[in-house]
Amino acid sequence: MKFKSLLLAGGALLSATAASAGGYQVTLAGIKNNGMGGVGVGLSLDQAAMFYNPGALAMVRDRGVQIGANFTFARNSFVAEGSSTQRELRNSVVTPVSLFAGFGPQEGKFRAGIAVYTPFGSKLQYADGWEGRTSLTDIDLKSVFVQPTVSYAITDQLSIGAGLVVLAYGAVNLQRDIPLPDSFGHIELDGKAETKFGVNAGIFFKPSEKLSVGVSYRSKIDARVKDGDVTFSGLSPAFAPNFQATKFSATLPLIATTSIGFGIMPTENLTIGIDASLANWSAYKTLRFDFDQPILDSKTRLPTTVSESKREYQDALTFRVGAQYKLTSGLVVRAGGSYDESPVKDGFVTPETPDNDRIGGTLGASYNFGKFGVDLSAQYVGIKKRTQTQQELVTNGTTDRIAGTYKTNIVIPGIGLNYTF
Amino acid sequence: MLALLGLGLSACQPDLEKDFEPSNGTADFSNYIAVGNSLTAGFSDGGLYLEGQQQSFPAILAQQFATVGGGEFVQPLFGAGQENGSGYLRLANIVNGLPVTASVNTNLALRQGATAARPLYTKFTGQINNLGVPGIRLSDIETAGYGSVLGNPFFERITPDAQATQTYLQRVAASNPTFFTNWLGNNDVLGFATAGGAANSLTSVADFTDKNSKVIDALTATGAKGVVATIPDVTTIPFFTTVGPSFRTTLEAGKVSGLVIQTGAAPGGATSANRKPITTGDIKAVDGTGRQLFTLLSSPFLPLVGTKTGRPWRYVYGQSGQPAAGFPLFLAAYGIDTTAAFGVSAGNPIPSLFVLDDVEQGQVRTATNNFNAAIKTKAAAKGLAVFDANAFFSTVASNGLVVNGVNNTAGFVSGNLFSLDGVHPTPRGYAVVANEMIKVINSTYGAKVPTVNPTSYRGVKFP
Repeated sequence: MKFKSLLLAGGALLSATAASAGGYQVTLAGIKNNGMGGVGVGLSLDQAAMFYNPGALAMVRDRGVQIGANFTFARNSFVAEGSSTQRELRNSVVTPVSLFAGFGPQEGKFRAGIAVYTPFGSKLQYADGWEGRTSLTDIDLKSVFVQPTVSYAITDQLSIGAGLVVLAYGAVNLQRDIPLPDSFGHIELDGKAETKFGVNAGIFFKPSEKLSVGVSYRSKIDARVKDGDVTFSGLSPAFAPNFQATKFSATLPLIATTSIGFGIMPTENLTIGIDASLANWSAYKTLRFDFDQPILDSKTRLPTTVSESKREYQDALTFRVGAQYKLTSGLVVRAGGSYDESPVKDGFVTPETPDNDRIGGTLGASYNFGKFGVDLSAQYVGIKKRTQTQQELVTNGTTDRIAGTYKTNIVIPGIGLNYTF
Repeated sequence: MLALLGLGLSACQPDLEKDFEPSNGTADFSNYIAVGNSLTAGFSDGGLYLEGQQQSFPAILAQQFATVGGGEFVQPLFGAGQENGSGYLRLANIVNGLPVTASVNTNLALRQGATAARPLYTKFTGQINNLGVPGIRLSDIETAGYGSVLGNPFFERITPDAQATQTYLQRVAASNPTFFTNWLGNNDVLGFATAGGAANSLTSVADFTDKNSKVIDALTATGAKGVVATIPDVTTIPFFTTVGPSFRTTLEAGKVSGLVIQTGAAPGGATSANRKPITTGDIKAVDGTGRQLFTLLSSPFLPLVGTKTGRPWRYVYGQSGQPAAGFPLFLAAYGIDTTAAFGVSAGNPIPSLFVLDDVEQGQVRTATNNFNAAIKTKAAAKGLAVFDANAFFSTVASNGLVVNGVNNTAGFVSGNLFSLDGVHPTPRGYAVVANEMIKVINSTYGAKVPTVNPTSYRGVKFP
């Protein structure tokens, strides 16, 4: 049973924008940041700073509220080892939304805010009867994070901030086929995550009009699904007695992320951001599911209440660079790029996260009508082609997944509306 | 901008297929001929029937060859209403975790007047590509009349009446392949082995080498390329590995320290050389300890060990096909005393038919190794691809085989690869064989024939 996706999902949740590679999450918090390659730790663009670096919120001059939506189109192709047939997803669109609101006295040193974001939303539906069906057929992960945040400007140049990260809502649905001697059964796991808390904190320093620097840290949260529902279907009477579980639980480390970012403002109209992040994916060793009653392990053919699958992720770095240029008083244009190291080692790639190093390119624009503004962004993320062989799987003891070649491209148009008080 | 976005989306789907274009390399698959025995015919579950034929490894290969210029591949399929062919075994039930099989004997392809005991099947005399003949030994390929009504009914079935004396070798020579698979020779050891050394003989190495050479020469006479397969080590198949381990456990629990078995085929009484005492610990267990192998057919009779019974002997005699009246003479010839305790006394030993003992295994292993050496030598001389089925199935027996996330083993019923006769593969087993052949074809001939997903083919069918 491979629910790494869940884990990944969780990790993505926490570290969504800045750092984490893996999964189908992409950096989707502020639409402005999205247009700039996802930079933000060393900048104080708008209320979305609560996500990137809570320390920068006090330096955001405007108070306001913004909402955003990202339409995520993932297109994946897979060819199994030795085959020549390309498998494609039953495609779907995922639309994570976000809301950021910042408050505070006009000239005061405090800012407070609340951020609601869905840094991870993944939905993959593999082709009917595809070669990896016993690993995964469908995955649907949803999460909502709510983050009340305060920020304080110690001096005109230095500010700090912190937010309480609340995993307010998390839902997972994982499905796969069960190999039986003469047919396939199906198992569906469906559960909600318990509410959990973490911290997002940062420092922002702006020594001059031309330079700023920020450091932020998001803590690890162990997301836990308890008493999720297990549903079996398609089991012929000969096999049904082997699959009696009705509840499952699982814990997923939503890994910690540390980021540093720089802002460079050579002219009043040009802002350049550079970010680097380290995601502590090495906390993700195994994905384990506990069942209330035994199910037949299809490998050992013995009943078990525990299903474990190796992940053994490694820490991964992400680099981002982006710029915005103010063309007119109302129009700002943006561009950027990113490079995301995969946390997934060779021979450990799973269908939930057919991952590899990612290269992203972004474009964006904003137009302001007085207190109203519209932000647009477009991201293209190419996950590099990745091949793993059955021999690698055998060597690593990871034959619960499938050998072959994956390639994924993701296109994410985003739109945001903002209002300044 | 929206238009650009739309364009970007449609171009977004990655195209991997161009990286995996099939190609035929230096091989010409336009007329593929499959030469072999039951394994080539698609025999499964103790019989040849339509589903097995349709999922024979040559049929799977031909389907894949079709992507790289392969031509039509005709098999002598059993027709509608006769789809159960020779009849076969089905899994009727699982009782206390043990499989119970039953015979399927409706909708057979028997000709008018033929009986299940002396079958003759509905003829299929057109041009065919799959020349697999269940039961054929390499030593049979030059036997005139092998395709007559007195010969092999499966070869008789595909032999045109006008050519009733055509030998198998002549049939092969006339097939004019551009590509071939040849997997003959299994029965030259298998019949001896499955009879526990009590019947059949091992083909001599000289005869095997000579006839293997002749069939390869015939196939390559017009420059055809092809694959030859070696003979697996039959002692690792479920037919020999299923019964012994649990029997040993039962004996140990009952504190039975040893048995008396009969070995070989020679007549002789309680004090003759055909009696062989073995210790319980010498029965081969799952952990690899012990040596003696009990056949699948012994299973119904082993619970009788220690009782005074003649039932096993009536079964053994029944297998000979001799008139029932001869049974007392048979018992006398082997010195069997059915009033002695079965299996634990020299007077009533476990029949040779049920045990492949260590000496017989040694004979089988030596023959297999010699035959495989002959197969590989000839293949090397002709530059042919070799599927080393012996090495492959040995690895499967020790490590199992995971394909596309699904675990398969050499285990009986639950292992997915071997059918209910414990000897022949299931459709999934045949798919795995086809894939292994494709791998050696690709590496030998620089081809890129795609493999199949074995997981799409069934293992044992459950009730």
